[in-house]
Amino acid sequence: MSDSSVHRSRESWLIAFLIVSFCSAAIWLSLSFEKMPPILKRGIQPSDFPQLVCACIILMTVYMVWRDPVRVVEPMGSKTFGSLLLMVLFVAVCSIDLFLALALFAVCLSIYWGERRPAYLAFLGFVVPFIVFFLFDQVFKIRFPRGWLTNMWYG
Amino acid sequence: MDPMLQGLMALADPSLLILLVIATLGGVVIGALPGLNATTGAALLLPFTLTMEAIPAIAVLTAIYCAATFAGAITAILINTPGTSASATTCLDGYPLAKRGEAGRALGLAVISSTVGGVLSVMCLMLAAPLLARAAYQFSPPEYFALTLFGLSMLATIGDGSPIKNLIAGALGVFLAVVGVDNLTTVERFTFGSHELYDGIGFVPVMIGIFGISELLVQSNALDTIRERVVMKAVKLPSKADYKKVWKTILRSTGIGTFIGILPAEGATVASMIGYNEARRWSKTPEEFGHGAIEGIAGSEAANNAATGGAMVPTLALGIPGSATAAVILAGLMVHGIRPGPTMFTEQANFAYAIFWSMMFVNVLFLFIGLYGAKLFARITLVPTQILWPCVFIFSVVGAYALEQSMFDVWVAIASGVLGYFMRRYGFSVVPLAIGLILGGMLEQRFGQSMVMLDEKWWLMVTRPLTLFFLILTVLALFGPSIWKRIFNQGSQRI
Repeated sequence: MSDSSVHRSRESWLIAFLIVSFCSAAIWLSLSFEKMPPILKRGIQPSDFPQLVCACIILMTVYMVWRDPVRVVEPMGSKTFGSLLLMVLFVAVCSIDLFLALALFAVCLSIYWGERRPAYLAFLGFVVPFIVFFLFDQVFKIRFPRGWLTNMWYG
Repeated sequence: MDPMLQGLMALADPSLLILLVIATLGGVVIGALPGLNATTGAALLLPFTLTMEAIPAIAVLTAIYCAATFAGAITAILINTPGTSASATTCLDGYPLAKRGEAGRALGLAVISSTVGGVLSVMCLMLAAPLLARAAYQFSPPEYFALTLFGLSMLATIGDGSPIKNLIAGALGVFLAVVGVDNLTTVERFTFGSHELYDGIGFVPVMIGIFGISELLVQSNALDTIRERVVMKAVKLPSKADYKKVWKTILRSTGIGTFIGILPAEGATVASMIGYNEARRWSKTPEEFGHGAIEGIAGSEAANNAATGGAMVPTLALGIPGSATAAVILAGLMVHGIRPGPTMFTEQANFAYAIFWSMMFVNVLFLFIGLYGAKLFARITLVPTQILWPCVFIFSVVGAYALEQSMFDVWVAIASGVLGYFMRRYGFSVVPLAIGLILGGMLEQRFGQSMVMLDEKWWLMVTRPLTLFFLILTVLALFGPSIWKRIFNQGSQRI
């Protein structure tokens, strides 16, 4: 057996295990849902439907492992991994300011993907967030969460 | 006044017309950009419609749907990269024709076929949707339950993915729909004490995540793709000989596209594949297919645009999305407080017809945009990926935030994007997840109502003819293809 097929097989088992674990946990959690008296339950108990759906997913996952195991359609490149890390950075910076996080993410992603032209980076880092902020704030009357930058506008 | 005429009167509002022109241009831009498609575009622009009235809001979303589906042909013909998956088959003959120096002719054919397909399918929509809605008046909860189940079972056949993986993704969507306070009993389910989860997981952030943010991650793997662009002088209208050769193909593909679109969950991609294959099967020169056959372009483009009208039939008449983009439009209807279904054609008939007429207007509009603007829109393909996708991320995040003005929705969008990326990486389509999320609530509600109605004897459902009919269709949708394959294989082995 080649290395790649061993790798695929492992991932196939891992994905199936994750799905089954998730559904089992959901069924376990649903056991703690409040039970309604017959007059109020309106046909089914609140836990019945989620349990039914999770049981179906488990059955289908077993069938999938047997007949149509998971295969990696596209290997994850380093750029994808880096982009995911930048999303984590975005989430972290959001606590300081949403638009600062957006501008930083946009510029960092663009540089990471190979863009080097300062004008384009300035466009992504300043112009786009600025336009989006004022479009949503002034036209759609959306109030964004307060932060370092948004406080300058909101006072 | 007749609701059809009242709906038409809505188009007399100049602001709506201007909005439709802008949305159509926006849809063409979205469709022409590789990686962005009608579903992503509609999901990203849904938050922009929040402050609008219901008619302009939904008209804008349908305009994006129709225009983006058409515009996928521009990149398919000029750079051999389908702007949308529905135009994948257009590449097969469009690009070879363009390489022979006939890009203008290929685009002209695509524009005409798309317009004819789109206009005829909207006509079918105008006729079929009210009829279907009238028929649906006979439905009670068990019939609706069985119909919704049938809609979910059709997920098995969408796209070229694995049926079982599509079903798992759809069931996961149904599961996500149960999160929150149960409407019937007010019991909290999977909320973990978080008040943000009381109303459940929002459709809009999930759709923005799985269609927009996950595509960003997919695109990060395709940064090295080099696209060869064909230079085009001008779009030419097809000649008389071309029309003579393709008119039957256009009409056939329009019929196929409309029918496929009406089937729950099946969309323009499946329609274009079948339209293309049928065009080849009926052609007198099938050997030309793949080398620049004009019937191939007409067959694919007429079918994918016809599917847009067809997909709106179950969406509006039954509340069951006919395609992934229709699922986003359905989410838009819900956000605007409109409940699609049979009552729409009695209580909100003006609204329904205004949407039909705006779709008709858009289909005619992109005839002119296609003929006079294709050369300009082809240049959009030159927008660098490094600029486009960071912008998409900004719009995704702000769009997810805008609906409820909640950062929780931003986290939901990002988490959905990451989930969507990993689903795609392992061969699970994200479209069933979106449709499952939309239909999950309906399915549970109708199941509960059916249980009350049938005194908790669920097996009595099969004693109701219409319910039984939809349940049989569900079984056929789930097991029919494999049974057919087995019978066919046995037959061919005997031969």
